[in-house]
Amino acid sequence: MSGGGELVRGVGLVKRFGGIVANEGVDFVVAEGDLVGLIGPNGSGKTTLINMLTGHLEPDGGEVLVRGARVSGRPPHVYAAMGVARTFQLTQLFGRMTVLENMLVPGLTRPHSRWGEVARRARGYLEFLSLSDLEQLPARNLSGGQQKLLELGRCLMLEPAVLFLDEPFAGVHPRLRAELVTRIRELHQGGRTFVVVDHDMESILRISRRLVVMARGSKIADGEPEAVRSDQTVLAAYAGL
Amino acid sequence: MRGLHVYVLLIVAALALAGAGRLNAYWMHVAIIAMYYGILAASWSLLAGYVGLFSLSHTAFASIGGYTSALLVKWLGIPVLLGMGAGVVMCCALGGAIGWVCLRMSGPYLAIFTLGFSEIVRIVISSEDDVTAGMAGLHTAPLFQSATRLPYFYAAFALLAVSLLLMGLLVRSRGGLFLRAIREDEQAAGASGVAVARFRILAFAIASGFAGLAGGFYAHYIGIMTPSVGDLDEMAKLVVMTVIGGMERLPTAVGGAFVVEFLLEWLRDYGQWRLPIFGIVLLLTMRFARNGLVTPFWLRLVRLGEARVSPRSAARELPQKDPGA
Repeated sequence: MSGGGELVRGVGLVKRFGGIVANEGVDFVVAEGDLVGLIGPNGSGKTTLINMLTGHLEPDGGEVLVRGARVSGRPPHVYAAMGVARTFQLTQLFGRMTVLENMLVPGLTRPHSRWGEVARRARGYLEFLSLSDLEQLPARNLSGGQQKLLELGRCLMLEPAVLFLDEPFAGVHPRLRAELVTRIRELHQGGRTFVVVDHDMESILRISRRLVVMARGSKIADGEPEAVRSDQTVLAAYAGL
Repeated sequence: MRGLHVYVLLIVAALALAGAGRLNAYWMHVAIIAMYYGILAASWSLLAGYVGLFSLSHTAFASIGGYTSALLVKWLGIPVLLGMGAGVVMCCALGGAIGWVCLRMSGPYLAIFTLGFSEIVRIVISSEDDVTAGMAGLHTAPLFQSATRLPYFYAAFALLAVSLLLMGLLVRSRGGLFLRAIREDEQAAGASGVAVARFRILAFAIASGFAGLAGGFYAHYIGIMTPSVGDLDEMAKLVVMTVIGGMERLPTAVGGAFVVEFLLEWLRDYGQWRLPIFGIVLLLTMRFARNGLVTPFWLRLVRLGEARVSPRSAARELPQKDPGA
């Protein structure tokens, strides 16, 4: 952990879908300046955890606090207003709206925002993400990798304190993947906090400062990447033992 | 020259207003009814086209607006305009309530729910003879004491113009951008900070308010309100008009209302056969021209003055809102 102020805290989070326990009493803390890699086998409850921490799922038990304030049960836009942004496992853009409009939506939800200023900021981020030439295209016409970049850009328009990225590298061409990693690193160095979920262990290890491992709905490890990698429980979970 | 289409539309509107006096009573009536449907089609496109809420209770709200106004004028003796205003307020409130109840519904579930609401409204109005005069029809006070329909033509024109202006301002505002984002992906809109529930309720309330306005005008123009104003046949006709015109733009929805209403009258000699013809046109539109049949003409009109603008310079312009909105 970086030792910064606490941004998001999940306490004893429980989520069940019918008979399936997706999260069983998970504690999770994100502090300012963190770059957390959240890994685990399929079905281990990573996305469910993120959904609860960003307001897209209401926990059956436990609670979510953002900067110390209890927010579980509130709608997602409240989390966004408090600086919690997220991307989705399967990219969810405003497909028939242009790339620029996708960026304008979150920017204009901010209090006292103005079209001109938001559009200028959006163009700045599009430049940063190498999407400037595509701003007038409908978002659905972008390639898979470009869509991932745009979704990241849309998050940035909220000027969030913390970004939860759900499988940002999945299905992305290696060249674009490298670009994504570079951008995340740059943003982190610029002071942003990240939680990155992915199966791509190599990319996760390249960027994360802290690694959290989930298995069967529980957190089984949380710490320095090197220490977690050599943890026998983690190895067993990944080997399916 | 950008915005040339606005001048073209203003000239057409001026010609229509200047030439209205030359229309015979029959075609003037058709034009007035077409404008009534124009308000309904535009407000339904706001709901179904912009926000993706496929509500089938829109004509029921026109009926509620009409009956509210007619009954208040009858019982309290208030001026007709005040009655129409009360109808709008009633529809906004009820529409907002329906929007709230339907918050978690979309697609077929929302369509079925609103269909049920529409039928409840129709049956209540039909059954409560003592209040609504049921199927016999409720006689309403006229909006104007006039021997001709000309004042009604101007009134319908003004209502349509003001409605389009207000709805146009809404869809071009940041609220309009949020409504389109909700249509595209509610979850992503919420994650982007859009208060999805608030905007969905607002969209229902505003669209229902315009339906109530149209209904109020209709009630005090026709002189009699019957439950059929809000029945499913009327709703189906409204869907046909809006889809044939193009449901994702306000002007094309109005264009669809005009085209269908005038063609229905023009083809009157074909009796009931004209209805299946429109059914087939609807099917063909859905299959081959999902953006509607009026949309290509509208886009051509919008781009009239932009022929010499290079794509590169056009792309640099700010802020990019839907050019056809």
